[in-house]
Amino acid sequence: MNIRKIVTVVEEIRSEGGREVWPPARVAVVAAVIDNPWAGQGFVPDLTAGIDANASDLGALLSPLVLEALKAPAEAYGKAAIVGLDGEIEHGSALIHTLKFGDHFRKAANATTLLPAVEKRGPTGVAFDIPLKHITDASIRSHHQTVEVRVADAPHPGEIVVALAAAAQGRPQQRLAPLSTEQ
Amino acid sequence: MQDHPWLRKLVLYREAVLTEAGLAPAIPAERASVAAVISNPWLGTGPREDLSPAVSELAPRLAKLVTDRLLQALGGVERIEAFGKAALVGSAGEIEHGGALIHTPYFGNLVREFLGGESIICFADARTDAGQPLVVPLWHKSHAATRSHYQTVDVRIPDAPRADEIVVVAAASTGPRPHPRIGDRTTDPVITSQTLEGVLS
Repeated sequence: MNIRKIVTVVEEIRSEGGREVWPPARVAVVAAVIDNPWAGQGFVPDLTAGIDANASDLGALLSPLVLEALKAPAEAYGKAAIVGLDGEIEHGSALIHTLKFGDHFRKAANATTLLPAVEKRGPTGVAFDIPLKHITDASIRSHHQTVEVRVADAPHPGEIVVALAAAAQGRPQQRLAPLSTEQ
Repeated sequence: MQDHPWLRKLVLYREAVLTEAGLAPAIPAERASVAAVISNPWLGTGPREDLSPAVSELAPRLAKLVTDRLLQALGGVERIEAFGKAALVGSAGEIEHGGALIHTPYFGNLVREFLGGESIICFADARTDAGQPLVVPLWHKSHAATRSHYQTVDVRIPDAPRADEIVVVAAASTGPRPHPRIGDRTTDPVITSQTLEGVLS
C-alpha cells in the first residue's frame, strides 16, 4: 500500500449559539491518502485480494492515530472513503465496509456499534462530511453529528482518501429529547 | 472556565507527507496550521477607529493560543523550521482588522519568539465567506531566503469566518518541500536579461 500523506484535523469548539461550551467539544479526524489498489485494472469483479491486502492495515494504522489526536475517550465515531475520479465508489466501500477495517477502531475505542460512513467520488480538494454516531448505541440522539473535512490536494484521480473520525462528546449545546420520549 | 470569551473554535490541520511523486522524501516534514475563529472586536466601527487598544489586548493572547497548539502538534520548537501566518476576515469587517491582529509586534514578535525564529513571518490575508480556502505561505524561520523551505499550507474552516468573525492562523513546517531541487542563492548563476539574451531573443 502506498500512502502519500496522512492528514490530521482537530476541532475544538469553545462556543456555540453564542454560549460557552466548557469543557471544549473536541472532534478529530485522521485521513490517509493512498493509491487506489485497483487503479488501472479496469472492472475487477472480485475485490477480495485488494481488500485483504489493505483494509486491515488501514484500520490498524488510523485507529490509534485518531484517538491520540482526540486526546480523550471517544463517545462518537464515523468513517469515510473518498474515491478519486478514475475509481469506483465500490473501491472505497471495499476498503471501509468490512469488519477487517472497522474492528480495529471498535476495539481501540471500546465500541460496539457499526461505524456510520460517507463514501463518495470527487475531484481533488473535494469537501466531505463524515457522519458520527454514539460508539455503543447508535440511537443516542445527542451524539448524531458530522465533521467536514477537505484535503486540498487529494484524492488524485487514482487515489482514495480513507478517514476515521472521533468525537469526545455529543453535539455542543445538544438539547433534543431522547428517542425514547417519542416511543 | 471559559478563558477566551471571544473565541468560537480552534482548528488544527496537520499533514505528514510519506511519499511524493512515488518516492519518500529524504527529509520527511510535517506541516500544520492552527486557526482561531474569533469575534471581530471592531465590528460596527468606522475606518477612523483606533485599532491599537484591542490589538494590544487581543493579539498577544491569540499568539500564545495558536503557537501553543502548533508546538504541541509538531513536537516542539526545535522541530519547527518554517513558519507563516494568515487572517481571514468576515464580510462585515475590514481587511485592516485582520492585519491589525497579525501584522503588529503584539502578534508577530510573539509568534517569532515562541517558534524560535528570526525571520520576518510571511503571510496571506483575505476577506472571505465562510468555508473559503486560503493558501498560507511558509518560509524558513531564521533564514527566509532558504529556497528549499518555500512551501504553503491550505487552510479552510467550513463554517468560518462568519460575517462578524476573523480567523487568525499560525502555520509551520518541520522541514523542506518533499523533493527540493531548485538550487539556492548560493548555487544560482548570475542571471540578468543580458546573460539570457539568447533565450529572450
